[in-house]
Amino acid sequence: MAEAIQQKLKAELEKFSQVQKDVSKSMSVRQKLETQLTENNIVKEELGLLDSSNTVYKLIGPVLVKQDLDEAKATVTKRLEYITGEIQRYEALLKDMEKRADDHREVLTSLQQELQKAQAAKSPNCG
Amino acid sequence: MAGGGGRADMEPLGGVHRLREEQEKVVKDCERRIQHWSKVSGDYEALSDRLKTLPDRLSYDIMVPFGPLAFMPGKLVRTNEVTVLLGDNWFAKCSAKQAQAVVDHRMSHVKKELEDLSKTRKNFESRVGLAKDLETMSASKGEYVDIREEVTTSVVTKGKQRIAHKPNSKPKLDVMLDLNEEEEEKDGGSSKGVLTEEELWRRLDELERLEELQDERDRLSDAADMNGEDSSSSSSEEEKEASSAPPVNGLSLKPGWSPAPPSSTPPPDRKAEDDDEEEEEGSRLPTIFFSHTVEPKKVRINTGKNTTLKFSERKEQKEHSKRKKKNGHSNGHAHHELHKITSPADIYRLFVDVRNGEPIPRKSILKSRSRENSVCSDTSESSAADFEERRVMGRSFSHDEATHSDTSDGITEEDSPTTVPPLSSSRFEAFSGTVIEKDPMPSGVPHLTIVPPALPTILERKQEEVASDVPEAPPKRLSKFKAARLQQK
Repeated sequence: MAEAIQQKLKAELEKFSQVQKDVSKSMSVRQKLETQLTENNIVKEELGLLDSSNTVYKLIGPVLVKQDLDEAKATVTKRLEYITGEIQRYEALLKDMEKRADDHREVLTSLQQELQKAQAAKSPNCG
Repeated sequence: MAGGGGRADMEPLGGVHRLREEQEKVVKDCERRIQHWSKVSGDYEALSDRLKTLPDRLSYDIMVPFGPLAFMPGKLVRTNEVTVLLGDNWFAKCSAKQAQAVVDHRMSHVKKELEDLSKTRKNFESRVGLAKDLETMSASKGEYVDIREEVTTSVVTKGKQRIAHKPNSKPKLDVMLDLNEEEEEKDGGSSKGVLTEEELWRRLDELERLEELQDERDRLSDAADMNGEDSSSSSSEEEKEASSAPPVNGLSLKPGWSPAPPSSTPPPDRKAEDDDEEEEEGSRLPTIFFSHTVEPKKVRINTGKNTTLKFSERKEQKEHSKRKKKNGHSNGHAHHELHKITSPADIYRLFVDVRNGEPIPRKSILKSRSRENSVCSDTSESSAADFEERRVMGRSFSHDEATHSDTSDGITEEDSPTTVPPLSSSRFEAFSGTVIEKDPMPSGVPHLTIVPPALPTILERKQEEVASDVPEAPPKRLSKFKAARLQQK
C-alpha cells in the first residue's frame, strides 16, 4: 500500500517538475520580449528624431544594410506590435502553466499525506 | 519574502532570518543595478564630451588599436559622421550634433532608471533593518522583548453553558457560612459524591451558584446580558438577588446594604411592582445583576439589628422557621419561607417587620421603614389597609407554623388571624386614609379570615370580624366607612 503510494508520488513529482520547468522557460522568454519591447520603443523614438538626411542601416549578421528611414520606421513599428502580441501569448501560457503546477502541487501534498498515514499505520503494526 | 514573513511568528529565528536574507538579496541586486547604470551614465557623459570636440577638426591622428595588444597610427576622418546604434540592430548615420541629441535622450532614460533603483534600495534597506530588529527581538537578545500571551480558552469562552433551571427546582441548602468554602471547594474541583439527598441538593446548589457567578461574569463583560435564566418566577428573582450579593461580599453576613446595590434595589422595587418583578431582574438596567451570587439565594435585608438576612429555600426556611419559633428571629428569617413571591400577596408576606422577635407584616411595602430598622424595603408605617397587614401577618405566622411551601399562597394553614392583630396593633400608625388593595390577595386570602374583596365595606366587616383588636387604623377605617355608609343611609 505504501509502495503504491510512493510510486504515485514519484510520478506526480516528475510531472510537477516538468510543469515547473515549462513555467520558468516561458517566464524567461517573456522577460526577453519585455526587453525587446523597451528597446524597440527607444528605436522608434530615435527614428522620430532623425530626418531623411541621415541614412539608416540595419545590421543583418556581419552586414550593415542601408535602409530607408520610413521603411525603418515602419519596420520598427511592426516589430513592436509583434513583440507585444508575443508577450500577451506568453502571459496566457504562463498562467495556464502555473495553474497546472498548482494542481500538481496539491496532488503531491495529498499523496504525501497518504504516504505518511500509511507509514504510520504500518509502523505501529510492525513495531 | 512573504513566506518568510509569514513564518516569522511560528519560527521566529528561522523565519525572520530567511526574511532578512531575502531582503538583503534584493538590496544587493539593487546595488548592482545602480552600479551598472551609473557606469552607463559615465560612459554617456564621456561620449557626449567626445562628440562635442570631435567636429573641431577635420581629421585626427590617432593610434588605432590593432587587436588587444597592438596599435597602429592612423587618421580619424569624417569626424562629423557618426553611426548611431538605435537598438535592436538598427543603425543610423547622423551628424555629431544629432548623435549628441541621441545621447542626451538616452542619458535621461538612464537617469530615470538610476533614481528608481536607488529608491528601491532605500526601501529594502529599511526593511532589512526591521527584519534585523525582529530577529533580535524574537531571539530575546535585543532590548525589545516580544510580549506573548497564552490564550486560555476557559477565559475566552463567552458562550457559557446554560442550564435551564426550574424555579425553585431545588432547595437551597443552608450554606450561608459555608459559602466561601463551598466556592473554593467547587473551584478546587471537589466533586461530592451523591451519597444522600441532602448532599445532592448541596451539590446542586453549588453548581447553580457557580453558574450564577459565571452569569455575573458574562454580564459584566457584556454589560447587556440579561439574565433570564432564573427569572421565570419571582422566587427565582429572590434567589438571584441573594446570589448577586455573595460575589460582592463574599460573606454571608454583611451589614446593611452591601456594595451590591443591585441586589438591594430589587426588593423594594419588587415590592412596589408586582408585575414587574420578573422584569426587574437584571433586565431594566444592564448594571443590575441579580444572579451574581454564589451564595445561597438570599435576600440581604438591612434589619438594623442583624446585619443581613437572607432568604433561603425550603430547608433553610424550615430551619429558620424553627428558629423563629424558638428565638423569635429578626425579620430576615421570617422571610425565608416566604421569599417566593408569586402573587402580590406574597410581597406582604415576605416583607414583614419583626418586632419583639416576631414577624409583623407591614401595612405597606411601599414606604420605608428606616426608623423601624425593619426589612430592607421602603415600607413604612403608613400602611395599607389593615387587612393587608393582617393578611401578611397571618401569612407569616402561618408560614412559620406550617410546612413551608414555596407556593404563592404559602399560607396553607389558616393561622389565627386573631393572633395577628395584637402584634400589629402595637405597631401600626394612625392611618387616616384607606389603602385598599383589591388585587393583592388573589388566592392566599381565603385562608385568612380577612378576604379582600373589592369593597371596603366588606373589608370592614371582615376586619371587624377578625380584628378584634385592630388598633388605630382599623377602627379609624371602619369608622370612616361606617360614617360614610351611615351618611349615605
